Amino acid sequence: MSDLLCKINILDIDLTDKRYKISFAEDDITFLAHSIKETGLITPPVVRPLNNKFVIISGFNRIRALIYNNRLYNNETKIVVYKTKPDITDCSCLVKAIAALAFKRPLTHSELIISTRRLYQFLDKKQIAKKSAAIFNIEFNVRFVEDLLTIGALPDPAFELIHSGNLSFKSAKRISSYGENIIKVFLTIFSKIKASSNNQLEIILHIMEISARDAIKPESLLKNKEMQSILFDENKDPGLKTKDLRAWLFEQRFPTIFKAHQMVREKITSIKFKNNIKFLPPQNFESQNFSISFTAKNYSEFAASVQNLNTALENRELKEIFNQ
Amino acid sequence: MKIDTLFIDKAIPRDFETDYIISRLKTDPQWIEDSREVYDFINDADDPVSKAKKTLYITHNKGAVIKECPGTSFYTCCDYTILHTGTFCTMDCSYCILQAYFHPPVLQYFAGLETLGHNLEKIFCQDKIFRIGTGEYTDSLIWEKISLQPKFLVETFARQNNCLLELKTKTVNIESLLPLEHNGKTVIAWSLNTPDIISSEEKGTASLKARLEAARRVESKGYKLAFHFDPLVIYPECEIQYKKVIHQIFEHVSSENIVWISIGSFRFMPKLKQIIEQRFNHSTICYGEFITGLDNKMRYFKPLRIKLYKQIISCIKEHAPDLLIYFCMEDEEVWEKCMGLFPKKEGELGHILDRSAAAHCNLNSNFL
Repeated sequence: MSDLLCKINILDIDLTDKRYKISFAEDDITFLAHSIKETGLITPPVVRPLNNKFVIISGFNRIRALIYNNRLYNNETKIVVYKTKPDITDCSCLVKAIAALAFKRPLTHSELIISTRRLYQFLDKKQIAKKSAAIFNIEFNVRFVEDLLTIGALPDPAFELIHSGNLSFKSAKRISSYGENIIKVFLTIFSKIKASSNNQLEIILHIMEISARDAIKPESLLKNKEMQSILFDENKDPGLKTKDLRAWLFEQRFPTIFKAHQMVREKITSIKFKNNIKFLPPQNFESQNFSISFTAKNYSEFAASVQNLNTALENRELKEIFNQ
Repeated sequence: MKIDTLFIDKAIPRDFETDYIISRLKTDPQWIEDSREVYDFINDADDPVSKAKKTLYITHNKGAVIKECPGTSFYTCCDYTILHTGTFCTMDCSYCILQAYFHPPVLQYFAGLETLGHNLEKIFCQDKIFRIGTGEYTDSLIWEKISLQPKFLVETFARQNNCLLELKTKTVNIESLLPLEHNGKTVIAWSLNTPDIISSEEKGTASLKARLEAARRVESKGYKLAFHFDPLVIYPECEIQYKKVIHQIFEHVSSENIVWISIGSFRFMPKLKQIIEQRFNHSTICYGEFITGLDNKMRYFKPLRIKLYKQIISCIKEHAPDLLIYFCMEDEEVWEKCMGLFPKKEGELGHILDRSAAAHCNLNSNFL
């Protein structure tokens, strides 16, 4: 592992070759460039000599910063790097690239997925799991490696969504078990909304169950006008789209339950209880226990609430709620 | 019964009962000392549930032979007594709870007719009516083709007057029962469903027509009958289909010989859903409008259950106004709205069923 510390010409680095780049982030390197100018390069990048050029293994941002400084201040074109032996293997270079980043900061899910997918070209699942602590700075079991590889088989847009937080690890794992067209449906949906992991899973579940129940393809469900109007409304905030989409899917998945909730909600609203009175129907309408509660700071507030409840006693909607 | 592997507990004596089973199966038995061999054999399969349906393990019942039905909190139970003669089933119903109930599921036949007899004698000498069934953890009559147990039970129950034996099935395995002296103490019960559900969700079971034809045949031999609409499955136009099934019942048998009809809608432990999705990928049975019930099982939204129940009950009542209908695991609201009554007191539903049992099976009514 004795890489050689040496100076190379910055122009000899092949910037187009990103085979060892595992990070999605294209960080702003302005501050880094400034720091290098002020304090010098603290940790040299690692490069691999290949075909009379150098391929970056680690230090993509540092080299970008050096090039930035070079253009701005016309600095010298020689930089200090660790140069690997010419006969180093691809696998060793990849391990170096991953370890360099993993021991600097925890890898993101998308980085873990990409790294594992690439390592799998050289190592089997068990070997990856065995070496994980040394490479990833975390210990994996074989099942987790399998999960990473399963998700790694998703099309590239999935990694961008994972990286941006639009697609959680669990949701990615779930959709990876579906066919290509269904995966595309979910990638389209999650590129348009911003949902928590649990809500993503709920959306996936409801779409798959509605499709199975109605014997339609999820692709057809995506083409539904109402779904389209929710997802492709460019003026709507992604969070609001998520809320609307979940409500619409719930209505499709549970039409009777949805109507019952809506009807009771409307009746409760029409009774006009005071704000401090909470009236709740039985959960899922399964038990028969309604819940009524209110708060009172003093006697007059208490009396006012009791009076409000007394008035409601004769309300037709209230009777209907209890007698339905 | 398509058994391709037969394990027998070495502790089981090689007697007429065991030899009879061996002779009926076209597979060489493997005598084993440790039941873990069976569990490992099943668990090593890609689909342990399917494997278990083809693997028979003959052993002793190491637990209670007779026990009370566990029932469930918040929903009214019928105080049934379970005769634990075996576990699991060779048929493959998508909704079957036994898939998730045993870990792993093992098709077990509990040998020892003598032990069974001794345990039953203790019940037969009590001054109390018992409704006893073998169909809780297995289908009562899958065993009829390969064992002497159903015959033994029918003949044993024939010699007493405080217990009713209910043999609950989805098969038409009745041949060996037809000539028996049952003394009216055995009720043969069929779980019924619509032809749609039978063909889509009840793999390996007899058709509706065959079940009702079998009911007609046992009725002609003096057996009393029962029917169980459980699980009712809600799907488009299911009401029409269930009514057709009801009409067919009364075309085949006389209402006077039906001891009871029970009704219950599809309910399941949440973990069963995953098993159904994995093993029956064309099944949509889990995609109804389910909510989490008070017992944490998934149940159809109550207004949907009530709507279907009302139609089924009214249809049965049109044919047989006095026939006893009861709910399996339903609550006060459902009973009141559908039946206009609720057996609120502890044991009240059981008592109603005991009365019907005594009346139909000529049990000692002094024990009521």
